[in-house]
Amino acid sequence: MAGSIVVAVLGAALSLNGVLRGWAWFMPLITTVVVVALTLAVLRALRAQPLLATVGSFATLAGILSFTFCRQESLAGFIPTAGTFTAVGRLIKRAAETVVSESAPVAPNAGIVFVMCACLGLLVILIDALAVPLAMPAASGIGLLAVMVVPATIKPQSVGVAGFIGAAVGYLLILGCSHWFAPDARLQSGSGRGPSQFRRSVVTGGLALALTMVVPLAIPGFETGTFPQGSRLSPWGTSNGLNPMITLGNSLRSPTGSGRITYATSSSSPLYLRSVTIDHFDGETWAPDDRSAERRVGADRIETGYAVQGEVVNAVTSVNAGLFTSPYLPAPFAPASVNGLNGRWTWDPATLSIMSTETTTRAQRYVVFSAAPKVTAQSLTQASAVPRGISEDFLRIPGNLPDIVRQTADSVTASAGSNYGKALAIQKYLRSGEFTYSLQAPVQNGYDGNGLSVLADFLAVKSGYCVHFSSAMAVMARAEGIPSRIAVGYAPGRLTGESVALVGQGSFPEYEVDARDAHAWPELYFEGLGWVPFEPTPSRGVVPEYATESSVPTNLSTNADEKEVLTTPAPAAPAPVPLPGVDTPAAGSASVNPLPTIAAATASVLLLVGFLWSPRLSRTLLRRRRLNQKPPDEADAVMPGYKDPAPELAWAELQDLATDYGLPSTPSETPRHFSARLRSSTALGDTGGVDDAAHVAVSSLTSDFERQRYGRGAVAAQTDAQAAAPAAATRIAVVRESMRHNARWLVRFRADWLPPSMMRRWVHALGAPFRALAALGKALGWAVARGWRVLRGLLPQRR
Amino acid sequence: MDGERFHDASERILSSINKVIDGKADAAKLALTVLLAQGHLLLEDVPGVGKTLLAKTLARTVDCTVSRIQFTPDLLPSDVTGVSIYNQSSRQFEFRPGAVFANIVIGDEINRASAKTQSALLECMEEHQVTVDGHSYQLGLPFMVVATQNPIEMEGTYPLPEAQRDRFMARISMGYPDKEAEIEMLETHQASSPLVKVTPVVTASDVAAMIATVQQVYVSTAIKEYTVAIGRATRDSARLRLGASPRSLLQLLRAAKATAALDGRDFVLPDDVVDVAESVLAHRIILDRKAASSGDTPQTILRGILASVPVAQEPPGAWRRDRQTA
Repeated sequence: MAGSIVVAVLGAALSLNGVLRGWAWFMPLITTVVVVALTLAVLRALRAQPLLATVGSFATLAGILSFTFCRQESLAGFIPTAGTFTAVGRLIKRAAETVVSESAPVAPNAGIVFVMCACLGLLVILIDALAVPLAMPAASGIGLLAVMVVPATIKPQSVGVAGFIGAAVGYLLILGCSHWFAPDARLQSGSGRGPSQFRRSVVTGGLALALTMVVPLAIPGFETGTFPQGSRLSPWGTSNGLNPMITLGNSLRSPTGSGRITYATSSSSPLYLRSVTIDHFDGETWAPDDRSAERRVGADRIETGYAVQGEVVNAVTSVNAGLFTSPYLPAPFAPASVNGLNGRWTWDPATLSIMSTETTTRAQRYVVFSAAPKVTAQSLTQASAVPRGISEDFLRIPGNLPDIVRQTADSVTASAGSNYGKALAIQKYLRSGEFTYSLQAPVQNGYDGNGLSVLADFLAVKSGYCVHFSSAMAVMARAEGIPSRIAVGYAPGRLTGESVALVGQGSFPEYEVDARDAHAWPELYFEGLGWVPFEPTPSRGVVPEYATESSVPTNLSTNADEKEVLTTPAPAAPAPVPLPGVDTPAAGSASVNPLPTIAAATASVLLLVGFLWSPRLSRTLLRRRRLNQKPPDEADAVMPGYKDPAPELAWAELQDLATDYGLPSTPSETPRHFSARLRSSTALGDTGGVDDAAHVAVSSLTSDFERQRYGRGAVAAQTDAQAAAPAAATRIAVVRESMRHNARWLVRFRADWLPPSMMRRWVHALGAPFRALAALGKALGWAVARGWRVLRGLLPQRR
Repeated sequence: MDGERFHDASERILSSINKVIDGKADAAKLALTVLLAQGHLLLEDVPGVGKTLLAKTLARTVDCTVSRIQFTPDLLPSDVTGVSIYNQSSRQFEFRPGAVFANIVIGDEINRASAKTQSALLECMEEHQVTVDGHSYQLGLPFMVVATQNPIEMEGTYPLPEAQRDRFMARISMGYPDKEAEIEMLETHQASSPLVKVTPVVTASDVAAMIATVQQVYVSTAIKEYTVAIGRATRDSARLRLGASPRSLLQLLRAAKATAALDGRDFVLPDDVVDVAESVLAHRIILDRKAASSGDTPQTILRGILASVPVAQEPPGAWRRDRQTA
């Protein structure tokens, strides 16, 4: 029992993988869950009072938590003291901050891990209490569900296969084991407990699991709503790894803009707000590198760290972060100083990202002075020197770069000479008509994210959103020897119609951005100019002047027509340009993929056939199960009070057979009366004729059943008459044949395909919830009436 | 007594009764059932349909002592039970047994006796013994009282109260014979009384053995539940003022056991219970005033109840538990 609870809880916890970064948090979780479950198992094995077992497990949970998290503050390492509670308070506060400020996946700090360990430990106790003393093992699934709801709503790939299967298997185990631990006779009275029942439950559970895996393939997911699109259980999708950029995709897909930021700027060009830089590419994912050791405190003076030649454009921007909550500060590039911030903020000299480990951007109002070099096509052409003084990190490419990426990069930039030319060529290629902007395609094809395999998929399918475009450009630039990184922030926003006065600077129009404007774009390094942003994403953002070419359509659409872009289907992609060495079928199949349609059609036809077939199938199965009873064991048969179930099952089958052919038995009818009615009806034909065998069969089945039900048992069952009669299955077959023969075709058809006996049972089962509701209503009404009577009795009587 | 001999004996009794009374096979069988179930029989019908004849024939087919009491208003309890009289020669009180000391006692027109005399007889019926002057005298086995009652003649009668009717296991209304049986009766019974031809076909000890066989009949839990369900249904019925008593259920089950034995089975079926339910229960239940005025009889109400009580609850843990309600 304890083992199955551990499997279930840890299985459910596996699904939290994407909510917390890495796997470091799993170890303390395992120890907590296992120790608590072991305590429960030991206490139960010692036959302790159920209450005592629960109390003991609470004590153990407290002990193991203090041992893991507050060893110094605790007595002897695990006995909680007053100091422990202070430490716990600190941990909880930290966890709360994490929950409020960070987006998934969060770093597994001590606070959040502590809270998780405590919750799952409590869950173990709860499940155990539900399953063992309260004998409600089925209800323990609610606890597991509660754990899995978290990743289901937060992670784009939902719960994940491992977590789901782990939890499901554990839950089934709980259900199975609880049978042996049942404290009351209700659960133990099942006579068929044994290997056959176990096999049946395994088959049932396995079937249900398999159905949950297959059915989502056939039904469409929901497109809008609270949950991010595609957040159903999709076990066959590839795992995308973990990255905050995935949340960018979710933000873009969210139907309502949240986290509204307003800003006013003196800059004449459209302003990108940049909050974090993603520069670390390990092949699996792009991830931010916090470089916490090199960060400098104080955002009022920020230095770029590289020399800039030529003209510098200064701008001042006032930002109101409003409800937007993030540890990273959105600011225009390249910030020189930030004034008006609350709290302690640090900045990274290499990337100029400004972040805080203590506070968030929530409700911050600040003014950013930024200074960017004036970049022109001419200055870029001149800046062709080999980059110096820049970290090798920005050029690092993992060894397992897919061929398609490098080949595409090479073929696109083949005609370009300088770095600038190459960058323009890549951007032009990505903005060309071959690529379409789509928030849905990556999710549907399972490559949401920005890993290497995702990149390969993206270049093949040629559809995605800014994360894909920017990471593609960044990787291709690195492949061509240009240092690159990805900036994450907001594309230029919409005018709010108001203006903001900045002291000493004048009045500027106010813009607003929200989650739907979340954007990612590549920044490429050019010696002498520093980091220069590009815009490879079609239909989003604004292509900088220096990055335009006469041949490149300057798609200056801003977010105003974003809706249109999202809702109108992209024009069918033109025939893909065959790339050297690239298999085109992959690209071709992306535009029109008939496979899902065929699969859905096949599945629906199968479902329909299965649906129509199900009454007949279940009727046949029922009949087979009733009639193919194994003969009783010798040992069982001589037991006092043993009754062979076969006659009773055969009788039930006979009753159902009669029901199917329009002669249902009534509850108040005696077996003998029913049998007489059956034999005198037209269903069986006349005695003495061809149906004589059926008549004999009915009477012998009746007397067998009477003897079995009302007779003395083992002694009475062994009569010569019974031994001489053929097997029940044979007799039933004779009766059935006779009924089929005598029935009209309509009755025969109904008995075959919509057997009334089965239909009645199903209708009865369907009505169960309503009957339960009615009973509940009745009980409620009774309780109210009684309550009113009691209340009236309490009121002072008027004389 | 094994099944075959039991069957032979019962066949002999029934055929000899049927020779005397034409067209009343059901009544004859029920009378035998009551005898074998150690109960007492109340024959209630208009005069001249063969109540007394049935009682006498049953008594004569069995080679046992028979006594007949013609109840009149002046009959004393001591006439029924017996009396102690002083013997001059032995100078002792001697017990002179009354009419009740016989295997089969025919109480003719029991409702014409005074309540006191009636209750003297009923006490013997219940306790199978007579107590006179502090001495208890055991009655023989088998012991059966067959009382007849005339429902029409109300003048000067003392109808049996409910409590005393409850002592009779079954009540039979003889009813008129059908046309053929009546013609047959007119032809055969003109010259002499048919009773003359009746000779005993079984002995008293045979009957005692048959009674022992009936007691061995097996009653399953399902049957007990069914019996109780019928009893509860009569008590819950809105059309009845008085339902079946626990004693009546006990007698119902005993009668059902005898029916099963007569049918050649060693276990009771619901059909046995249904067969005797009307005769056993109808004279014990009392109709509601409304039901009585709307033309219902105890028989019709009982039939309705039997048609509504489920035959058997499923045994606990049965996997086809849904059948009952489906």
